[in-house]
Amino acid sequence: MYELLKNLGDWLVSGEQWSGSDGIAHRLAEHLQYSLLATLIAAAIGLPLGLLIGHTGKGAFVAINLASFGRALPTVGLVVLVFLAGGLSMLPVYVALVALAVPAIVTNTYAGMTAVDPDVKDAARGQGMRAHQVLFQVELPLALPLIMTGLRLALIQVVATATIAAYVSFGGLGRYVFDGLAQRDLVQVLGGAVLVAVVAVALDLLLSGLQRFLFRHRTA
Amino acid sequence: MNRRTLLGGLFAAASVPALAACSSGITSLENQGSAGSGGGSSKGGLTIGTANFTENQVLGYLYAAVLEAAGVKVTVRPNLGTREILIPALRGGDIDLLPEYQGALLHYVSPKAKATEEGEMQNALTIALPSGLQVLPYGMAEDSDAFVVTRETAGKYGLASLADLKKQNGKLVIGAAPEVKKREVGAVGLKEVYGVEFKEFKSLDSSGPLVKGALKKGDVDVANLFTTDTDIQANDWVVLTDPKNLIPGQHVVPLIADRKADATVRKALARLGNTLTTAQLTELNRLVDKDKKDPEDVADEYAREHGLVK
Repeated sequence: MYELLKNLGDWLVSGEQWSGSDGIAHRLAEHLQYSLLATLIAAAIGLPLGLLIGHTGKGAFVAINLASFGRALPTVGLVVLVFLAGGLSMLPVYVALVALAVPAIVTNTYAGMTAVDPDVKDAARGQGMRAHQVLFQVELPLALPLIMTGLRLALIQVVATATIAAYVSFGGLGRYVFDGLAQRDLVQVLGGAVLVAVVAVALDLLLSGLQRFLFRHRTA
Repeated sequence: MNRRTLLGGLFAAASVPALAACSSGITSLENQGSAGSGGGSSKGGLTIGTANFTENQVLGYLYAAVLEAAGVKVTVRPNLGTREILIPALRGGDIDLLPEYQGALLHYVSPKAKATEEGEMQNALTIALPSGLQVLPYGMAEDSDAFVVTRETAGKYGLASLADLKKQNGKLVIGAAPEVKKREVGAVGLKEVYGVEFKEFKSLDSSGPLVKGALKKGDVDVANLFTTDTDIQANDWVVLTDPKNLIPGQHVVPLIADRKADATVRKALARLGNTLTTAQLTELNRLVDKDKKDPEDVADEYAREHGLVK
């Protein structure tokens, strides 16, 4: 056990391990690229959807259930399915990651919108604000903390799951996990897993710090 | 799931003594697996364990069918897992017999072994196996690694053997399981023995839907599959020949605990080994995987048809 931890430590800090196309720096960059792009796409889909159903109150049942369906899809199964249909590209990976991220964004955005006090909305309308003004100047700012929580959750899930890119021959930190498993190299597997965990925790802390900073004047 | 899975797993068998392969010259096919088979007896019945993939289970039920016909009481415990589970179970007495593959088993017990020819491997196995275990004579059927291209690719680049790949150095993309990148029977050996360099190595799965899908769609030019994969025939793919014997033979070989290895078992399994061919084994795999038949029924029917049981 001690030996293993020592090897793991060596693996994580050796300069050799950090450089080159199979180096940690490169794999980390790939991993972040996959994760951020997937979360952005998911946000582009999930945010408008969540705002729309939250604002109108219509279609919530369908949208939330559809989103939960996305959450229940087995990610690896989805990757294989899209792969077999469309061939070898990053598309299967992005489809799976987006399907994973959209539910968290939609449900949190919707929850944030419904949590806005109806009296406040009434008051806004009473002042003669138009629907889009109520949405963007009243509801959205009030719902923002929950919306950001949704984005944060989505990103963390995606970071942890982006390892599947390696399953279909691409890079990212999952490369270490899959290669290590296949080559019976436990240190490499652990190294990859630890790095993924560190990235997820670091991003979570970063975003929650940002959230606290942005909403520092608000009372909960 | 396939033969390589049996090899896979995290924890290499640290307890197994790693002996270097035997030197040249020991190629006699006599004496196969006879080491230490003094006091074994199958009178009290025996238990067959199988690994977690179709072919191994079919083989396990074939063993069961012929052994029962020879009067041995047999219990089958299918789908137990990988070698990391099966070998300790065999040594510990939970199971007594296991369908194995020469090259893969030899690599497991003796990772540095260099033997690739059947007789050499059989002898190397006899030397390297931990005490209490032995291999019986190997069968004709073989499930080895193959490097496969589509008929179209073969025609376009003039590919018939692994040596031909060198002419296209830097042009072709290979798809295989991640471990193949660092394996002797893989990118490493192809470079050392045949001087082949690929444009890119794509880590996919071993003879599974990903690598076959990629080959079919042309995302990879060369794929690492197994010879008993039914899709090779179904798609009219071309298996590249191996004139320099890079790929070790993977004949099916029974691995048995000394305590159960007697003449009855030995003869029954040898008869099966002399009957079952690679093509037939491939067909049995197909019946289970594609036609969704029960592996036990498939094995029993084969044994009946070929006169192995009455």
